[in-house]
Amino acid sequence: MTDETTAVILAAGEGRRLEPLTNRRPKPMLPIADRPLLEYVLEAVADAGIDRVVFVVGYERDRIQTHFGDGDDWGVEIEYAVQETQLGTGHAVLQAEPFVDGPFLVLNGDRIIEPSAVESVRRTLGESGEGSGSDEIAMAVSRSPTPAEYGVVTVENDLVVDLIEKPEREPPSELINAGVYGFTPDVFEAIRATPTGADGEQSITAAIAGAIDDGAVRAVRYDGLWLDVTHLWDLLSVTGRMLDRSGGGIEGSVAESATVAQAAHLAAGARVGPNATVGRGATIADNASIGANAVVERSVIFPDATIGPGAVVRDCVVGANATVGANATVPGGDATVIVEGNVHEDVRLGGVVGDNAHVGGGAVLAPGAILYDEVDVAPGASASGTVEQGTQIRRG
Amino acid sequence: MCGIVGYNGAQRALPLVTEGLQNLEYRGYDSAGVALSNGTLDVYKRSGEVSALLDALPESADQYRGIGHTRWSTHGPPTDANAHPHTDCTGDVAVVHNGIVENYDELKSELEAAGHAFTSETDTEVVPHLIETALADGKSPKAAVQWAVGRLEGSFAVVVTMAGVDALFATRQDSPLVVGYGDDGAFVASDVTAFLEHTRDVTYLADGDLAILGASDGQTAGDVRIERDGEPIEPERETLEWEADAAEKGGYDHYMLKEIHEQPSALRQALSGRVDPDAGTVDLDLELPAEYVGSLEEVQFVAAGTSNYAARYAAELVEELADVRATVEIASEYEFDGGRDPWRTLVVAVTQSGETADTLAAIRKASRAGARTMAVTNTLGSTVTREVDDSLFIRAGPEIGVAATKTFCSQVATMTMLSVALGRQRGTLSSDRASEVLSDLRGLPGAVQQVLDRTDDVEEVALELADSDAFFFVGRWLGHPVALEGALKLKEISYDHAEGFAAGELKHGPLALVTPETPVLAVLTEGSRPEQTLNNVKEAQAREAPVIGASSGDGAGQYLDVEWPVPDAGLLEPLITNVYWQLFAYYVADSKDRSIDKPRNLAKSVTVE
Repeated sequence: MTDETTAVILAAGEGRRLEPLTNRRPKPMLPIADRPLLEYVLEAVADAGIDRVVFVVGYERDRIQTHFGDGDDWGVEIEYAVQETQLGTGHAVLQAEPFVDGPFLVLNGDRIIEPSAVESVRRTLGESGEGSGSDEIAMAVSRSPTPAEYGVVTVENDLVVDLIEKPEREPPSELINAGVYGFTPDVFEAIRATPTGADGEQSITAAIAGAIDDGAVRAVRYDGLWLDVTHLWDLLSVTGRMLDRSGGGIEGSVAESATVAQAAHLAAGARVGPNATVGRGATIADNASIGANAVVERSVIFPDATIGPGAVVRDCVVGANATVGANATVPGGDATVIVEGNVHEDVRLGGVVGDNAHVGGGAVLAPGAILYDEVDVAPGASASGTVEQGTQIRRG
Repeated sequence: MCGIVGYNGAQRALPLVTEGLQNLEYRGYDSAGVALSNGTLDVYKRSGEVSALLDALPESADQYRGIGHTRWSTHGPPTDANAHPHTDCTGDVAVVHNGIVENYDELKSELEAAGHAFTSETDTEVVPHLIETALADGKSPKAAVQWAVGRLEGSFAVVVTMAGVDALFATRQDSPLVVGYGDDGAFVASDVTAFLEHTRDVTYLADGDLAILGASDGQTAGDVRIERDGEPIEPERETLEWEADAAEKGGYDHYMLKEIHEQPSALRQALSGRVDPDAGTVDLDLELPAEYVGSLEEVQFVAAGTSNYAARYAAELVEELADVRATVEIASEYEFDGGRDPWRTLVVAVTQSGETADTLAAIRKASRAGARTMAVTNTLGSTVTREVDDSLFIRAGPEIGVAATKTFCSQVATMTMLSVALGRQRGTLSSDRASEVLSDLRGLPGAVQQVLDRTDDVEEVALELADSDAFFFVGRWLGHPVALEGALKLKEISYDHAEGFAAGELKHGPLALVTPETPVLAVLTEGSRPEQTLNNVKEAQAREAPVIGASSGDGAGQYLDVEWPVPDAGLLEPLITNVYWQLFAYYVADSKDRSIDKPRNLAKSVTVE
């Protein structure tokens, strides 16, 4: 194995379950401690010594291209393969075919992992490349307390013998597909030979089912960090987790009388006004502003957003260029949230304020309120539940 | 206008020189050439883009010394013969040159009379023949270069290589030249872009400096010696912060589209740490004495092209916010005249590159007249920053597309801060009003992003109207410079006929040009007197012209064929509108498959007058 290994990172997906935050940006660009999910994946790849990277992009790809450019800031060379329509992970991998020669890695662009996952899959792929069949596949497997939400794998003698996507019955094991694969170019043929699924998509897991039957998929055990953002509230918990690890950091300007907690992150162009409090688990992005006396805890504030004086914002996501007016309140806490028809009880989500939305002075968001883009809540009004894009909420 | 690169070191020169040329190609592109030397001298040159030269070059070459040039014609058409490098009669001396040798007729006659044969129509060719003369007189290579350069009048940056001479010689007069210190070799170039991938450790040469790169007088190949007035000096070394590869397209089809999309982050950079909307204060790190600012009678902007339109926007804001007379001059037309008091006039040069020859000439006239001068520029270490009293950086990052986009936006944003700073310092702007303007400024990145989020809508309209006969852009007040800039962008990259007008002028003439085949694009936002402009829009619509309006209020929609919303941002709304105009121009040009990043006949940094 040489340094010529290419890492293909899948970043074309839309992330519907994370609306409204994914209305204007793809899921891999959601920020964790002020850096996109995709940046964590890229860093794991770069730290593992790989310097050739292909991003498969599609939905809102401008956002990814503008942030990452040609990869120079990360010491890697990024090329872009465009998946015009999102027809599954297998289809996405096919888009990278012109950029790949020899064995390569595939990673999900929206799961935080550590470099060791990349290193061990690469090593296993290198070992199997010599002597054994050229259709060998390596797959990182990890343990999850909630395996049923992912692809559950059964491993025997270091080989994957079974893979069931999101099983409805009791999962046969707690091991899941961690979404880091090592392939040879033979996989492209396997994807093409796999019939399209009932949902009209070509998935990568369907394409390797045959290889599993042939005993050609090696399991690579990985017990490092593995974080996924499936739902809006995960954005807050994963942010908290990463800030605990990194300790946060203050780069922006903070008024002398303000307080910023240790495990909080303040970007370079962010501002915190007099007597304001930025608590644990909060991230304030570039050019965002926290007014005097405001309290922001365990919340993610996107770029260009404004939190007015005296506002209280807890367990909340405030989208790009959104405004929370003076003395508005997002008290935070547990809520019942319905996403795409599924009811999620007791999730900790104070609220979501979509991009360019406006919450008027003194307004209140009930726990779990999700305001889509450009919603306008009048001063003193209160909002709850899911509010469609552009809606105006008046007092009453 | 043109690009120069040279290398002398431990690596083979050919790939480094050609890479440098490709990086410089945006500066000019109608011919290119390379000279490589060891005991002998090999010269390769071609008209056309750098790719044409690449076809003519050998796969590899042994030499460790080389110079290269991309040319944009000033004297003589773009032909193989007129391409640089130029050589002398013996074929042992090769020269690349930027700028203009003003006394070349005289020098050429003199050299021809002495028996020298010229093979091109360029002014540059006199230089190698002058060096040849000096060498024949027994001068050392260094002395020959110095003597030859001493005979030249005009502006120039010159790099010389000679067969059998182990050093490259580089010198300048009114034309930029920068030396780069690589790990195992030295670079020289007209612009750091040429070698940024190899080193960021540089020295900008001053007028008259002579840089000797490589093994001369006991130096080794990578060494550099710089002489001023014949004495070696300890050069001032700077470390550049710009990323070399920020100059790569990163998945976009064109630099221009990439740079349009970079505007929100460029604006955040421009604002970062400078504004405090709550206090209504701006910190630009300028050292303008309070009594001077208080006594100002006029702020005079000098600029060319897009920078000129940014200056017009800024001049209106200076009058509005700082309550001082503000004027804008086209740099090439500038004279310090009209009975101005130089002690009470601040002259502000606006230039992205900091190397624009017309603007530099203008600022020198202002300095000579005794006025205080300021530069608003994107380029640290550029010539203009060394010529003015104060520099104000727009922090937009490198802009490669010849058509300026993000730098216009950052120029206006930065000069808005300047207007507020002047207004506060003069006591003519209330802290309330300052706070309001600064809040609008802080909202600018988010507002521009909202326009970018509508890219698909703009593309659709652009494709529909791309084949129109002509395009007219109209606006009033702050919308007027935006109309001018919108039209300039379109004509630069799509080659379509486009004009910008003050909306009120439409009925005084241009309306005669309006037909169902000429779309009218109108600025209808705050800061552009939308109600009045709407009357002009109706005049155009009555002639069945398709009308596109960018508006921030209600009520214009019924008079428009297409309405694009502009977020609330007070006096900055016309600036946000400009982003729609940029996208429109881009997609019209793209549908015609134009050379968007390098439009025909144009160059990024215009370093000739």
